[in-house]
Amino acid sequence: MQCDEIRPRLEAYLDGELAETERAAVHDHLADCPECGPETVALQRLREGIRRSAPTYRSPEALRSQIRFALRQEAAASARQTRPAPGWLAYAASILLAVAVGSGGTFLITGERQEDAVANELIDSHLRSLLGSHLTDVASSDQHTVKPWFAGRTDVSPPAVDLAAEGFPLVGGRLDLIAGKPVPALVYRRREHVINVFVLPASHGDLGTTLSRRGYSLRHWKEGDLGFWAVTDAAPSELAEFERVFRVVTKG
Amino acid sequence: MAWIAERRRRSRFESVVLPHLDAAYALARWLTRNDADAADVVQEAMLRAFRYFDTYREGDARSWTLRIVRRTCYSWLERNRPADVVPLDDEEVLDEGDANGPVAAGNTEALLQNRSDLRRLDALIEALPAPLREAIVLRELHELGYRAIAEITGVPIGTVMSRLHRARSALRRGWDGKDIGDAV
Repeated sequence: MQCDEIRPRLEAYLDGELAETERAAVHDHLADCPECGPETVALQRLREGIRRSAPTYRSPEALRSQIRFALRQEAAASARQTRPAPGWLAYAASILLAVAVGSGGTFLITGERQEDAVANELIDSHLRSLLGSHLTDVASSDQHTVKPWFAGRTDVSPPAVDLAAEGFPLVGGRLDLIAGKPVPALVYRRREHVINVFVLPASHGDLGTTLSRRGYSLRHWKEGDLGFWAVTDAAPSELAEFERVFRVVTKG
Repeated sequence: MAWIAERRRRSRFESVVLPHLDAAYALARWLTRNDADAADVVQEAMLRAFRYFDTYREGDARSWTLRIVRRTCYSWLERNRPADVVPLDDEEVLDEGDANGPVAAGNTEALLQNRSDLRRLDALIEALPAPLREAIVLRELHELGYRAIAEITGVPIGTVMSRLHRARSALRRGWDGKDIGDAV
């Protein structure tokens, strides 16, 4: 073979990808060609350079155990899927929410116990969104995509603003069925954490503090006719920060 | 019982797929160029892989896993950093001397040469466009063959070869060769 036939095969030769007859032909040529030889050396030097200078990335131990934990949850959730019936608490919550959602603003949910019922229902919804393949119905960080998507699907029109600049990128939107009613959820991310913001007709004043339930944080606030419930497994302080920037940006 | 079946499925998944977690993380780390994002993507990819585990047939579990990790990386990047996933605009061009070549090759070259911090090969690799970067990482660092790379990245073997060639040419142009000297 001539040099012009050898050159296109050099890399495949060094990558060990040539068939035996071709490999032998290239090998013989390299032994006594003054031009292809140095080219081969240069390619070999590049390979050595890459392998020496590129860091070897390994999965952190914490990630490994986090994944094992998530797999256990996922397996448990899909084993449970065949079972019916949430507990009585969720049932009670669903009635309360049905009233709250249905009456569009009537102040019915008060007191700590009811708050817990709502919190439980929303945490369940948050969990379902993480475990299934159903985090978003509309995946987009563009408010002009997410907001119109809800039109006609729900009564309320959630203010879908992207907060990427503030460290909370908008991931998309989802419609959850809560107490038999479609409830829009805006989905945000905070690093590895998901923040679900459920938007209901306002029925409640501002909560002002962060609730902690079952290892999740919840905040509630009111803006005009809309009530917002944010649920996450991120730190409570981050959720407070989220509420702050969300309110600032939506007030525009 | 559903939970027994689920537990069996999970332990099989852990023994087939989790051994490739380091390889998965390394690919995600090269594609996202950031530890925290790589961890996010890998976790998401593993859950996705677990859900699709029924579609895994006996065979190369590493390629199967890396294919899912790569796909998850790209959809993550599209959501979070769309500028990172601009496709190569002259994909078929094998040789940079061709008609369409200079423009795109010029882009890559400008990218590599206009930054004086890019003396080290690892920085040069990070600066490559994603399709070239994943090809060179899978070949040189994961030490995979053309067929496996083609499977993982979903392109024909010929495209893998031309991407490797372009990646190597760009790296050689940008590299001053001192890396080896420094290390020796």
